[in-house]
Amino acid sequence: MNKGISGVNFHWALIWENRDLFWHGLLVAISVSFFALVLSVLIGMVLALARLSRQPFSFMAAAYINVFRGIPALVSVIWVYFGWSLLLGHNFTVFQAGVIALTLLYSAFLSEIFRAAIVAIPKGQRESGLALGMTNFRIFRSIILPQALKIALPNVGSMFIGMVKDTSTFTVIGLTEVVRVTQNVNSVTFQPFVLYTAAAMIYVVVAFVLDFIFRTFERVLATPSTGKMARAITHNRQQRLTTLISQYKPSIVAQVASAGDSQDKPTLRG
Amino acid sequence: MSSVRATQSVVAELVGIRKSFGDVEVLHGVDLTVRQGEHVVIFGPSGSGKSTLLRSMNLLEEPDEGSVKIHGVEYGPGLPGTKAPRGKTLELRRSVGMVFQQFNLFPHLTALHNISLPLRAVRKMSRADAEGRAIAALDAVGLAGWAAHFPSQLSGGQQQRVAIARALSIDPQVMLFDEPTSALDPELVGEVLAVMRKLAETGMTMVIVTHELNFAREIGDLNVFMEEGAIVERGGRDLFENCAHPRTRSFIGSVL
Repeated sequence: MNKGISGVNFHWALIWENRDLFWHGLLVAISVSFFALVLSVLIGMVLALARLSRQPFSFMAAAYINVFRGIPALVSVIWVYFGWSLLLGHNFTVFQAGVIALTLLYSAFLSEIFRAAIVAIPKGQRESGLALGMTNFRIFRSIILPQALKIALPNVGSMFIGMVKDTSTFTVIGLTEVVRVTQNVNSVTFQPFVLYTAAAMIYVVVAFVLDFIFRTFERVLATPSTGKMARAITHNRQQRLTTLISQYKPSIVAQVASAGDSQDKPTLRG
Repeated sequence: MSSVRATQSVVAELVGIRKSFGDVEVLHGVDLTVRQGEHVVIFGPSGSGKSTLLRSMNLLEEPDEGSVKIHGVEYGPGLPGTKAPRGKTLELRRSVGMVFQQFNLFPHLTALHNISLPLRAVRKMSRADAEGRAIAALDAVGLAGWAAHFPSQLSGGQQQRVAIARALSIDPQVMLFDEPTSALDPELVGEVLAVMRKLAETGMTMVIVTHELNFAREIGDLNVFMEEGAIVERGGRDLFENCAHPRTRSFIGSVL
């Protein structure tokens, strides 16, 4: 047991004693954020394409983005939970309101991330697709989108961490996420320093874990994939190609294995 | 002029091609006829419009005016006063292959999938067929063993050879080359030219924009000198020795 300079006793054991409650709060925060992330990615991509297309779609998307990027999560969730229910005559659950509130905000942020990533793809990529006779839709789906998502991925990870943190404001509508749990425990134990330290630690750990997960995604998408775990994930794909090549002509694999990069002879066999 | 010109049928015919970027007209009504099996080399100083002319052949640059015919089918906007039905741009592009200065391989795909993707998308092949075909295409440029490599793992010369294999795999009637060796280190130019030389020997119809005039002298059946958006002079293999126009002579003299 520690004593602060104010002479208050710090009951650190409270964290462990209430671990089930904290765990439940964490799960709620992550689930709300995850559903909101999936919706935000889909809506954000549509907004990004609208923003890049002709008027009036571009203007409408820009208006949405600029409005919703400016609204704080706290205001958004109160507006959805209390405001929309009056407007629509339908009461959302706190969980639904949380997902909708986050989606409204983060689809705006993600659309700007996606737009920047799409614009970053060199125009030669589209041109070579066109020159090969591919349709615009196929070029987008198979050439532009995979490269853009790879560029956007680290920022999407950051947005997800931001979403989890923003769920802390949803305590105002009574969502039992981490902060709500902390408040509840504190109201009977009066240990704010201990309990809010625990809450802070939970958010930090979540950020670390999400960062690790998104970094692994990045490594899987890297060409060639880097790192042990990423290579294990892409192993089968590479293995299939190697088999395909060796079946085509067993000698070729040996030839590459023995040859240096510059020693292969160019041939255009009939 | 070589005998190919007189006897073979016309594959591509450009008439009166005009193109402006903003207020600047970069092509002032250019005519060019490409015959079956012919190797056309377009050369000239930077900004002469040679790349724009080449890119108008598959409508990557849409001409403001002029006729772009492939095997007699009109794909361009046509000449003023004429109103011919236009073929579909997709069909044009599926019969014309193009190789770019910057290779433009898809960096997120292996060499194999760079070739199998368009085969599946354009030729509607199954995955197995497209991949088999792609390996054969890579083998034709001596790179079958590199099929599982990504573009970032290949040298510039290897990337360009994959790009050539990719363009060839859709069975084009004409191959367009837009300065295919300009982005390469000098020691890598040779392997790309070797592939192009072999391709020329197979009788492929080729239109090549290049600064490699020694290569042009070797394979060019029709050599075209462009300057300031117009064709100044055109001739057969002897153009480099017997050019009539002083501008052609001074340009060749400065490059060769």
